Amino acid sequence: MSVSAGHPYVEALLQGSRGLPPSPLSWLNQRRAQALERANALTVPTTRDEEWRFTDLSPLTKMHFQPVQAAGALTLTLSDIEGMLVPEAGLRLVFVDGMFAPALSALDGLPAGMQFANFAQGFKVGAALAEKHLACHVGFDDNVFAALNTSYLRDGALITLAKGVVCAAPVHLLHIATQKEAASYPRCLLIAGSGSECMLIEDFVSLQDGAYLTNAVCEIVLEADARVRHVRLQRESLNAFHIANCAVVLEKDAVYQSHAVALGARISRHNLNVVQNGEGAEMKIDGLALISGRQLADTHTLMDHARPHGKSTQLHKCIAGGAAHAVFNGKVFVREGAQLTDSAQQSRNLLLSPKAHVDTKPQLEIFADDVKCAHGATVGQIDAEQLFYLKSRGLPEAQARNLLTYAFGAEIIDRIPVPSLVARLERTVLEQTQTGQQPS
Amino acid sequence: MSTVLENLVNQPYKHGFVTDIESETAPKGLSEDTIRLISAKKNEPEWLLEFRLSAYRHWLTMPEPAWPNVHYPKIDFQNISYFSAPKPKKLKSMDEVDPELLKTFEKLGVPMNERAALAGVAVDVIFDSVSVATTYKQKLADVGIIFCSISEAVREHPELVKKYMGSVVPTGDNFYAALNSAVFTDGSFCFIPKGVKCPMELSTYFRINTQDSGQFERTLIVAEEGAKVSYLEGCTAPKFDTNQLHAAVVELIALDNADIKYSTVQNWYAGDEKGVGGIYNFVTKRGLCKGANSKISWTQVETGSAITWKYPSCVLLGDNSIGEFYSVALTNHYQQADTGTKMVHIGKNTRSTIISKGISAGRSNNSYRGLVRIGPKADGARNYSQCDSMLIGTRCGANTFPYIQVHNNTAKVEHEATTSKIGEDQLFYFQQRGIGTEEAVSMIINGFCKDVFQQLPMEFAVEATKLLGLKLEGSVG
Repeated sequence: MSVSAGHPYVEALLQGSRGLPPSPLSWLNQRRAQALERANALTVPTTRDEEWRFTDLSPLTKMHFQPVQAAGALTLTLSDIEGMLVPEAGLRLVFVDGMFAPALSALDGLPAGMQFANFAQGFKVGAALAEKHLACHVGFDDNVFAALNTSYLRDGALITLAKGVVCAAPVHLLHIATQKEAASYPRCLLIAGSGSECMLIEDFVSLQDGAYLTNAVCEIVLEADARVRHVRLQRESLNAFHIANCAVVLEKDAVYQSHAVALGARISRHNLNVVQNGEGAEMKIDGLALISGRQLADTHTLMDHARPHGKSTQLHKCIAGGAAHAVFNGKVFVREGAQLTDSAQQSRNLLLSPKAHVDTKPQLEIFADDVKCAHGATVGQIDAEQLFYLKSRGLPEAQARNLLTYAFGAEIIDRIPVPSLVARLERTVLEQTQTGQQPS
Repeated sequence: MSTVLENLVNQPYKHGFVTDIESETAPKGLSEDTIRLISAKKNEPEWLLEFRLSAYRHWLTMPEPAWPNVHYPKIDFQNISYFSAPKPKKLKSMDEVDPELLKTFEKLGVPMNERAALAGVAVDVIFDSVSVATTYKQKLADVGIIFCSISEAVREHPELVKKYMGSVVPTGDNFYAALNSAVFTDGSFCFIPKGVKCPMELSTYFRINTQDSGQFERTLIVAEEGAKVSYLEGCTAPKFDTNQLHAAVVELIALDNADIKYSTVQNWYAGDEKGVGGIYNFVTKRGLCKGANSKISWTQVETGSAITWKYPSCVLLGDNSIGEFYSVALTNHYQQADTGTKMVHIGKNTRSTIISKGISAGRSNNSYRGLVRIGPKADGARNYSQCDSMLIGTRCGANTFPYIQVHNNTAKVEHEATTSKIGEDQLFYFQQRGIGTEEAVSMIINGFCKDVFQQLPMEFAVEATKLLGLKLEGSVG
C-alpha cells in the first residue's frame, strides 16, 4: 500500500477520532495513538495495489462520511429489530452504528464461564487477555481500514470463554446500521480458552438503504483444543460499503469453522486471515457471495500453516447476476517446517448473466515438502444438461434455473447449524435467484 | 534417503566449456549510440533503426518489474556488451564453417551436416547472436518456406518482417521486451506460406558463448492460412561465473486454420550448487491466433537458468482458435523459476488447455503464474488448467498464482492444482519389485511429467526424459 501524508479522505474519516474520550487504560490509548499515526500515514488503496487489483474503491473515497452520532442507539426499540433476531441464540449483543445498545441486547443468557464486556466500559474481566490480544492480530501497519478502526476503538465486544466451557447456544452479535453517510467501526475480540467451545454469529444488517461505511475488525483467538464456529452474515444495504478484517489465531489442536455469507453492500471486502499457530489445528472455511445489480463482493482469505499437521478445507462460492462483480483470492501458505499439512481449497463461481463477471485466484505458496495441497477453481453458467434434465421432468425453464441456482448456494447455507438462519438465508437466495436472473 | 537423492541432483553441468573463437564484441554499455552501432554493423534499413530507437526510448521510461517471485542482484545494464559476433567471413559451403564451431556443435550433439540429414532436422544455428550456417534451406525453399536468420530476413524480405515484427509483442510491452526490441542482434525468422505443411521439424539451437554478452534473440514465426509448422528450440550454455542476461522475444502469428507448435528444451547453466553464476532468462513469448480455427501450442521443458521468468502466452483472437501450454519446470539448488502462461480469450468458442508441472528440489523456488482471461465477447470459451507441483526436500518452495478473470457467462473455466511429494510408499513399491531408488525416482518423475512429454516431438521427448533424470539424480527422499 502506498504511503502519503494525510490522504484527504482518510483525514476526513479521522476527524471524529480525535474527539474520542481517552480510555483509562494507558495501553489502549497507546494502541489507538499508534493506529491513528498509521492511518494518517497510509492512503486508501487503489487498483494499482495488488491486493486491491480488482476492487476499485474510488466510489468510497468520493463519499463524505461523518462519524456516527450517539443518538442512533437510543431511538431504536426491540420491536424495530424483531425480524433480525435469532431465536436459537443465548447471548445477544446489539451494536447500533458501532455503539453498544444494552437495551436491545440480551445478556441474561450468559452461561457460566463466559464473560462479556464492552470495551468502552473498561475491562472488569479479562483485562490482561484483552491487552495481550486486542489489535495484535489484525495488523494496522499497512492496512488503512484496520488502522482507522483501531484509532476509533471505543465500543466493541470482548467475549472470553474460560477453560473447558462449552457454550451450546450461539452468541448473536448484531451490528445495525441506522445512519446515512456515517462511518461505523464495529469491533470484536473473542478469546476461547483451552478446550472451550462456542458459536459466534456476526451479523451486519441495516435499517435504511442509504450509503454508509461499515469498517469492521474482528479478532478470534483459539487456545489449545478450543472449537469456534463463526457464522458471518453481511446483509448491508445495497448502497453501503462494507470492509471487514478478521484475524483468527489457532493454538494446538484447535478447530475453527467459518461460514461467511455476503449478500448486501455495493462494495464489500472481507479479509479473513487464519493463522495456525499450534500443531494439528484445523480450519474449515466456507463462503458464499450472492450478488446482483452493480454489486461487488471481494473475499480475500489467507490460511497460514505455520506448524505441522495442520488441516484446512475451504469452499468458496460466488453467484453473480446482473452486472455484479465477484472477486476471490484464497491463499494457502505452508511455511517451512509445516510438514504433513493437508489443505484443500475450492472456488466455485456461477455467472447468471452476460454482464456478470468474476476474478478468482486460488493461490498456493508452499515451503515444506511433505504436504498435501490441492485447489480447484471453476467458473461457468448453469449446466445445460442439468437444465435439460429438469425440463424433461416438466419444469419450466425459469423454475429449473432457479432451482439449480438455489441448490448451488444452498450447499454452503445448509452447513450453518442454526435452523432459523438457514431458513431465512434460503428464502433470500430463492428471492434473489428469481429476481436477479435474466433469461438468456 | 534424502542424502542419496541430494547426491543425485548434484550432477555437474555437462555442457560447460568455452569455445575459443575470435569474437567481435561491442564495448559495454547501452545508449542510442550502441543501438546505432548495432544497426549499422548489421546494415539495417532506416525503419528498423527507428523501431529500435523508439523501443529504447520507451525502455528508458519503464521501471524494472518487481512483481515476479524471484530475487537477484540489480542488473547493471551498462555493464553488458550488446553485440558479440563471430568475425564475419563469407562462407561458400558448410566445409568453410570454423571447425572449432563445428566441434562445439558436435559436443552438444547438434544434428548438422550429415547428422542434420540423418536426423531430418533443419537447424538454423545461432552462435552468439549471429547465424552462421543454415541447413536445409533449399528443401524448405522448394515449398516456399522461408527459414533464415532475422537479419537475413530483414535484407531479403523486409516487407514481411516490417509487417509482423512487433505486432504481437509491441516494443513497449514490458521492460525486457522493450530492451530486446532496442538491442536484439539476431534470431530466427520463419514464414510458412498459405496452405503449406512444413515437411520437417524446424529447429534452432541457441548457445550463449562470449562471457558477459547478453543475448537478445528475436524469433518471428508466421503461418499463413492453412499452414502448419512445428518449431523446436533447444538451449545449452557454457559454464560461467558471472550471470548472463538473456532477454529474448518470440512472436508467433497464426492466420486462418494455421497451426504452430513451438517446443523448447532449455538447459542453460543454472549456477553451481551454491547459487553462483547462471543465466538470467527473462523471455517474452507470445502467440497470436489471429485467424479463425488457428492453433498455437507451446511446449516447454525448463531445467536450466539461474532465474527463469517466462510466460509463453496465447492471444486467442480468431473464432474457434485454440491455445495450448504444456510445461515442465524443474529447479534445483538455488534456481528460481517464475513461469506460466497467459490465455487471453477474445474470439468466440476459443479453447485453451494448460498443463503445468513444477518440480522443485534443493533450495530452489518454483512458481506457476498464470492468467486465464475470458473477454466479454468470447462466447462459449473454454479453458482447462492443471498445475501440479512436486517438492523434493524441505528447503524448496512451490507457489501457484493462477489468475482467472471471466467476463462472459457462457464461458467454462476449470482450474486444478495439487502439490505432492514422492511418497516413501511409492518408492517402496518400486524397490520391492527390484527397481533401485534412482531409477524409481526417475520413473515417478517421468510419470508425473508424462502429459507434457507426450507433446514433445520424438527426439526432444527422449532428450527431455534424460535431462530430467540427470538433473534430479539423487535428490528425492
